[in-house]
Amino acid sequence: MALPLPPGLTPPEVAFLCEMELVTVVPRQRLEGLELLGGTTPELRPPYRAVLPLWLALLLKRQRRANILPPPWLHPSSLDTILRLETEVHKETFSPPPLFPPSNNNLHETRSAPFLPSCTADAAADALPYHWLEVGEILLDAAPDDLVEPDTVRRLMRDLREVRMAKMRAGVAVLDGGAVVGLKGVGGMEVSEGRAFISGVIDNLRKIGASREQSRREREAEERENGYDDADEDEDMGL
Amino acid sequence: MGSYYDIDSILTDSQKVPCTFELSVPGLGYLSGNAGGDMKQGTRCELPLWLAEMLAVSLGNSAPITLDIPDALSQRVLNALKASPRSVDLRGQAPHFYRLGTRILDLFEDEEIVDVLTESFKKRAAEIADHAYNPRGALGEGADFLQGIDESERELFRAAHSSAKAMREWMGEMKKK
Repeated sequence: MALPLPPGLTPPEVAFLCEMELVTVVPRQRLEGLELLGGTTPELRPPYRAVLPLWLALLLKRQRRANILPPPWLHPSSLDTILRLETEVHKETFSPPPLFPPSNNNLHETRSAPFLPSCTADAAADALPYHWLEVGEILLDAAPDDLVEPDTVRRLMRDLREVRMAKMRAGVAVLDGGAVVGLKGVGGMEVSEGRAFISGVIDNLRKIGASREQSRREREAEERENGYDDADEDEDMGL
Repeated sequence: MGSYYDIDSILTDSQKVPCTFELSVPGLGYLSGNAGGDMKQGTRCELPLWLAEMLAVSLGNSAPITLDIPDALSQRVLNALKASPRSVDLRGQAPHFYRLGTRILDLFEDEEIVDVLTESFKKRAAEIADHAYNPRGALGEGADFLQGIDESERELFRAAHSSAKAMREWMGEMKKK
């Protein structure tokens, strides 16, 4: 009540976080490696490709010092494939997220966005990464001339978003006080958009079901006192 | 159940529920429109929930009044909700319909009410989401339905609508740059 902001991140905040994603660029000018807090950026030597964080790539792109290579999943043909996956194969659930790159058995390896190379030129072509919506929109906006058929891409992104939002809304019908919707493969921006509604529904359903939950607990406590105690439960666990 | 200053729970507590007096009380006649007279045993009248709850529950078996299920949760409304959750005007039944339901369910155990409320909340939530994500939702054909949603559903509508709006704003800003 005291905080005017709702819980969770707003779309501009999600987009800001997404600018840490790594993308592949083709530089047009030489640039020494920059010493940044996150490490040194690779030296840019045209025409060799380099992997840079999105924010730096956007900066260079605006100054016409580099071209951004769009990630493979942002091609019209792969978007079309994913859209078909969403509408025909996975009718209820979301299309699966990209697979993890093969592990080097390194325990300290980071396993989440934005530290996965999910938006570089060698990302998987058939799956939407965590920041697909943000990266797609930002690239459509800042570098349409680097994309293949930007208008088709824009249309397909719109379609994908509509299809996935509709699924998220339909998921509410199967919700219950304790149950959850399968949200595997949902992107960061979509979470930010759906959070308020889904958590509101769950909260209200929980309140309505509170009295039933209460009586169930009381009944269980009673049963436990009456001798159907832990021995029984252990048996169940064993089965 | 909400904080002390939660206006919605205060308003829920002030909703009237029907009760029956189990004993005659001198001088309370004004509650049933009989000013100056006594409250007769067996009179039915409407009291705010906070008062009725206290009188009905506090004194154990010798409680001065007994509570009844309010009209908003009567069998007639439940049947209507079962038949078609989307077409019932919940706001007309009680402005805080679901909260009132929760409070009543604390007092009466009724599996049927829990089931009906849960089912209709889910069905109506889907409808609310459709209207909230549609930029013209509140004005177009949804106006009738949205007139009839109760306070907690309004809250939900507001939340869904503002996140959809924030999203549209962000996308719009991207284009302007």
